[in-house]
Amino acid sequence: MKKKLFGHNFAVVYRFEVVRTLKKKSFWVTMLAFPILITAVFGIAFYAGNQSDTASANLAKEKFSIGVTDNSNVISGTIIKQTGATKITDKNTGMAKVKAGKLDAYFYYPKNLAKDKVEIYAKNVGIFDNSKYQAVAQSLLQSSALAKTSPEVVAILGSKINFDVQTFQDGKSYNPMMEMIAPGVFLVLFYLIIATFGGQMMNAVVEEKENRVSEMILTTIKARTLIIGKIFAFLTLILIQMLVIVSLVAIAYLLLRNNLNLPSFALSQIPLNPGRIITSFIIFMAALLLYSGLLVAIGAAMPTAKEANQFFAIPMLLIFAPLYVAPMLITSVKTPMISFLTFFPFTAPVPLMLRNAVGNLTAIETIIGFSILTITAIIIFVIAARLFQTGAVEYSKKLSLKNVFKKK
Amino acid sequence: MSRETKNVIEVKNFVMRFGDKEVIHDLSFAVKRGETFGFLGSNGSGKTTTLRALLGIYEPTAGELLINEQKYDVAGNTKIGYLPEERGLYKKEQVLDVMIYFGQLKGMTRAAASDFSLKYLAKVGLNGYETSRIDKLSGGQQQKVQLGITIMNDPELLILDEPTKGFDPVNQRLLMDIILDLQQRGTTVMMVTHQMDEVEKLCDRVLLLKDGIAKEYGTVASVRKKYGGKHMEDIFIKIYGGIDGENEDETNGHFSLSGLAKSQKRKK
Repeated sequence: MKKKLFGHNFAVVYRFEVVRTLKKKSFWVTMLAFPILITAVFGIAFYAGNQSDTASANLAKEKFSIGVTDNSNVISGTIIKQTGATKITDKNTGMAKVKAGKLDAYFYYPKNLAKDKVEIYAKNVGIFDNSKYQAVAQSLLQSSALAKTSPEVVAILGSKINFDVQTFQDGKSYNPMMEMIAPGVFLVLFYLIIATFGGQMMNAVVEEKENRVSEMILTTIKARTLIIGKIFAFLTLILIQMLVIVSLVAIAYLLLRNNLNLPSFALSQIPLNPGRIITSFIIFMAALLLYSGLLVAIGAAMPTAKEANQFFAIPMLLIFAPLYVAPMLITSVKTPMISFLTFFPFTAPVPLMLRNAVGNLTAIETIIGFSILTITAIIIFVIAARLFQTGAVEYSKKLSLKNVFKKK
Repeated sequence: MSRETKNVIEVKNFVMRFGDKEVIHDLSFAVKRGETFGFLGSNGSGKTTTLRALLGIYEPTAGELLINEQKYDVAGNTKIGYLPEERGLYKKEQVLDVMIYFGQLKGMTRAAASDFSLKYLAKVGLNGYETSRIDKLSGGQQQKVQLGITIMNDPELLILDEPTKGFDPVNQRLLMDIILDLQQRGTTVMMVTHQMDEVEKLCDRVLLLKDGIAKEYGTVASVRKKYGGKHMEDIFIKIYGGIDGENEDETNGHFSLSGLAKSQKRKK
């Protein structure tokens, strides 16, 4: 019988898993929910922004009678005239006019604006519309101050000065932030995949046990082939999801870019460092295999999906923990803690990918890190297959590694 | 060696240990081509463990378990139909998809698996259920699907672990018909069962296993002769009854609370 690359019946399992998932409505609903959610959030933000702008414009247009007492001498007489406000000599008169309904609002500007409050007395027009009084009082102050100031000072105070920074390395222009983007994509992808599909990976082989199918399955296929078939099917489905999501987001971006005032991305300006991108990719693949194996192994040891899900926090914690020391991963790589996080197989993916993205991972560290990830992934897969094989007929018991290797 | 006498299954000096507990002790037997072999024993005697070791689900502690002179290999050439004691199917999937999947895992082409499945479903009254989800079928209908999967690759060796367990009478009859049909076509059948009337009706030879040791092994006729022509059920009770000698004499092989009452009196 000819030997097949991934084992007997690999293609049958792979096809079955991919096709049956693609036929499920829940797969498409989950996948489309993400871009729909993003679109909805942007849509709401856009709508709210529009509504806010319209309301502000309406308020600005709204005419109401104002009285002003300016002890600060900041408010310009011209601006008071332009707004149609009337000058009032003392606070009590202003307050009395508001109470009598002769004025809609009265603003009292104290002598020392930095120390004392501007007092506003006005006719109640509702919880939201009352805010217009403060906006107008503020506007009178700002307009008067700007009228007395040069445009340069206005720009400085408003933090509207533009800067252009160029840094160099080895005589060539080098922007560390931009350099991070291309290799850093794999780190983001790794997080997204594990966070989104980790639970499904963990439950990949629990289904056989829960449904009491494993015994029949294991007379037609080796546990290792079944697991590899399922993992490859998952990776294919993840790829399909990513392609659909990215396509939808790109289409939505192109269609709505102008309407929503979205920033324009010049992809051509992102530096592409082939060495770092390839390194990130191979670390990403090894990390994905390691964590797929770990999640499947947890699932294989548990009798039900419910019990397996209780352990999902452990791999998530191991992945997220290095992020707490992210600044150290960028600046203090010589410390023992960073070395540990970089080379301990279950925490290694993030430090390896992040350090490679920022450019402080040496070639030797890359080789050691990649080797550790790959060897551990293989060991984990062997354990996962063994757990599934042994646990296949343990329909109601959790398995321990001790028991698994004792039964041999 | 003639076709009939060649062994399809050979178990030689099989020992199985779980941790410190030895559950099968030096078990040896063979199943000949074309025969129906009854693998009998009380609950916990080691029957299912032996089947699982034979099919590579368990790794034996010692000894050899061979099918067609080889350790069972999922990629091997022997066409096997296995109905395990613990049964189930992919509950969320459609009937036809599941049958085709198992057919393909058993080496059939997709077209052949589909063709067999449709014909089988029609034959057992499940036409119209091809696209139904498994969990939408009744328990009896699921059993029919499971039986179809067991025999769909036209097995040369059928291994049935308590085949009638949990089956309703209709499906029990269906199963018996299937076994008889396969018997006539020369299929070797090894079955674990507690139904002694089935054993007398279907089996050529039997092995009675108790606590991992073969108590009796031979043709149904020879075993019955050894026990004075008693029916298999009486022989089974004699071996596994769990009734000690004193009580057995008083109760003629039936369980009685009177012995227990006596013991209680003695304790007082």
